[in-house]
Amino acid sequence: MEEVLAELVKLPRAGEYLEIRLEKIRSTRITLQNSVVERIRQEEDQGGYVRVLNPKTSWWFHTFGGWDNLQGRVEEAIRASSTLPASETNVTRGESYREKIEVELEQDFRHQSLDQKIALLAEYSQIMREVSDQIINYTVEYQDRFQEIYLANTDGSIVYLEKPDISLSFTAVAKQGDTLEIYRNGVAGKAGFEKVRGQELLAQEVAKKAVQLLSARSMKGGKYDVILDPVLAGVFIHEAFGHLSESDFLYRNQPLQSIMSLGKPIASPLLSVFDNGNEEGLRGSSPFDDELTPTQKTYLIKNGILSGRLHSRETSFLMRETPTGNARAINYHFSPIVRMTNTGIEAGQQSKEELLQDIDRGLLAVEYLGGNTALELFTFSPSYGYLIEKGQVGEMVKNFVLSGNLFDTLGKIDGVGNDFRWTEVGGCGKGSQIGLATPTGSPHLRLRDVLIGGD
Amino acid sequence: MYELARELKSRSLEGDVFTRKIRAKEVRYQADRFAGFEIRENEGYGLRVINPEGKIAFYASSSFEESPQAVLERTLAASQYGDRVKFHIPSYPSLVDWENLVDPRVQNIKETEMIELGEYLISRIKEEYPQLLVDLTVAAGLEEKSLFNHHQEKLSYAQTFFQVGVSVNQTKEGDIVEIFSERNWGNRELDLDQFLQDILLKIELSQRISEISSGQYPVVFTPEGSITLLLPLFYGLNGKNIVFGRSPLGEKMNKVIFSPLFSLLERPKEKWALGSCPFDDEGVVTEQEKPLIEAGGLKNCWWDLWSASQKQVPPSGNGFRSSYRDLPQPNFTNLEVKNGLRDRETLIEEIEEGLIVDSVLGLGQSNIAAGYFSCNIHLGFVVRKGEIQGRVKNVMISGNIYQDLKNVKEISRDNRWVGGRMLLPYLLVDPIQVEAKN
Repeated sequence: MEEVLAELVKLPRAGEYLEIRLEKIRSTRITLQNSVVERIRQEEDQGGYVRVLNPKTSWWFHTFGGWDNLQGRVEEAIRASSTLPASETNVTRGESYREKIEVELEQDFRHQSLDQKIALLAEYSQIMREVSDQIINYTVEYQDRFQEIYLANTDGSIVYLEKPDISLSFTAVAKQGDTLEIYRNGVAGKAGFEKVRGQELLAQEVAKKAVQLLSARSMKGGKYDVILDPVLAGVFIHEAFGHLSESDFLYRNQPLQSIMSLGKPIASPLLSVFDNGNEEGLRGSSPFDDELTPTQKTYLIKNGILSGRLHSRETSFLMRETPTGNARAINYHFSPIVRMTNTGIEAGQQSKEELLQDIDRGLLAVEYLGGNTALELFTFSPSYGYLIEKGQVGEMVKNFVLSGNLFDTLGKIDGVGNDFRWTEVGGCGKGSQIGLATPTGSPHLRLRDVLIGGD
Repeated sequence: MYELARELKSRSLEGDVFTRKIRAKEVRYQADRFAGFEIRENEGYGLRVINPEGKIAFYASSSFEESPQAVLERTLAASQYGDRVKFHIPSYPSLVDWENLVDPRVQNIKETEMIELGEYLISRIKEEYPQLLVDLTVAAGLEEKSLFNHHQEKLSYAQTFFQVGVSVNQTKEGDIVEIFSERNWGNRELDLDQFLQDILLKIELSQRISEISSGQYPVVFTPEGSITLLLPLFYGLNGKNIVFGRSPLGEKMNKVIFSPLFSLLERPKEKWALGSCPFDDEGVVTEQEKPLIEAGGLKNCWWDLWSASQKQVPPSGNGFRSSYRDLPQPNFTNLEVKNGLRDRETLIEEIEEGLIVDSVLGLGQSNIAAGYFSCNIHLGFVVRKGEIQGRVKNVMISGNIYQDLKNVKEISRDNRWVGGRMLLPYLLVDPIQVEAKN
């Protein structure tokens, strides 16, 4: 295939930038509901895309099934791209890479039988069921996916990449009278089957938590001092700030560029935020992004100063900054757009106890149900929380949402914990590309005066 | 796929094959400028097999190269682990009176026409508001679905879709606002001038910022904004959630649960609406029209074959697959919230102090199973003494729809299609809990 691609990328003659992606995806998904195997889905998906940027006109993108007629598709894309209107854009060109990146998994999930997979999931189901009679529905969901991808471009790069991904999640629904609570948690990784083994405690914990939530009190809305746990703090920085660092929002928005100008103090000096697509072994990592730019660690905020942003080749060209390796496509059905990889808040100095100490009346917010942003506005939902009174963690609370204005909120961070950790579960959606693996990491984080929407 | 169906029959197995083929074109504008043209082709199939013990398995692929024997063998091997189902793949109806909803003006639309349309819309917005940045997409395409079963029967259906989406960004120091609006329909008959007027009105009303204090207020939800209240209800109407006891509606059939003003019905055969179809993705015929909530009383829910068999009710023609690679789930075709008698303006005129909510952030992030919503208002307006004062910032609304939909006080006569498949009016709900930053 490399030889075929090597010939195809020579086809542009008028300075066009051409990318070809060919991809084969094999996945297995198994769902157990109340201990019964409700769904087994095995899937194969094979196809590709051709993307051309004609510097006199614009982008032409074509995604298709199968790997047939590649030359015809490339020729058609080059021809058709010349008929488009001008968009005054271009890309930063890169070096030429020839690599074959194969992964070796500890326990390759492709070699595990359905029997083995289902037996493990059934054990987890059994554990969840035994927790309480108040658990009315419990779900164990498993998915593995192996992507084999060829990427080639007119810089002469031809790279073959393998991307494994595995995830396991537990959902428990507890009921008491008219009260209904759902709790979910899981594990995920760029790893083999070993990742989903040995999760008995987590399965039990999920069912217990759903039951505990039944008797938790609904939170009243208002303004509170808040400590975010590392999971929620990671989501916060991803949603509230990370998306604004994606340069496709910025490159033609002059007012927003001046708000987001590099070197500007934007947050509390305690805060440093980075994106690192090159962090070994994480789900968002890869040696190259989907435009074959090598991935790197980029500081977005350093000690409160805005210090970097995320680029594709196109936004890099338009903003005259170096590409950062952040052009990602979830699969061949979509074109690469600017995305985060693994994004985190760097560890600070304080222990969790120290962060709690000087909160008179506040809230410890834990994990998340979801998060969302619209530029400066953000909102995110913790799974649950605890009241903090006089520095002590107290009663469990539920049903609340944290919301606010990014620029206000970043300034209100007055404590950063020393207990950094990564969270790999979950996925991010942007445009129509949903479920991209974007791990987040953080220590505990303290914020003052946050708006809480409650019951 | 006939071969797969024939293979099922020759081995006396029960099963079905669902195929979906989509071909779509899209032009994109970003920050006022042309940003690219995209063609998407996507085709694949999903095979369900029920083995002689009644256990089910599923296999999906976008590749048509493998032999039907091998595909069937693999799926059958997985079925030994599958759920023992109580339903049967149905025999398909003959639907002589049904026609495909294909508009050749959408199917054969030229890039140049899509580009002209995009440029027209952007220039009209920029004429009035030169400082704004406009993102825009125009998309058009054809979707073809087919179903084959072990009786070697076949059903197929095709429809076109046409979509225009506009997102306007206004950035000032200390204030960034994004106004989004879109229209979807099966043919070219989108009223684009009306669409433009709606966007321009939203922009105009957004220019001034207005404040409100925390408290309980009357809130008017626009057709787009009422999704906030409908989304938890959709979760509750889903037959699968009822089977698993996750829906509060399981025990409420024929009981009054909402305000008598509130009626919701399903309209599977509305011409050119995007959810229209003669049969669902399991081959069950869809009805002409069906009440879900009638004058506040619960009348029907959504059942696919699986959930219907669990609850021992007839399937309702609501088994839909989000793609060829997904198994059917209960979902709706097209919905209508019955409109009222009054103009939307008169709903607002009576408000002493309150809000209009057009879009929210954080939809579906609360415990929607129990009916909760808690959202940041993305685009909303303060009303005082019957007049719109300006746009709100940093304000949240929250509540529980199983309480709040009891408090629907008025419903407008004006309505419009949202997402091409929900015909929705303006809803006045009083009170709604509002949390404000200031």
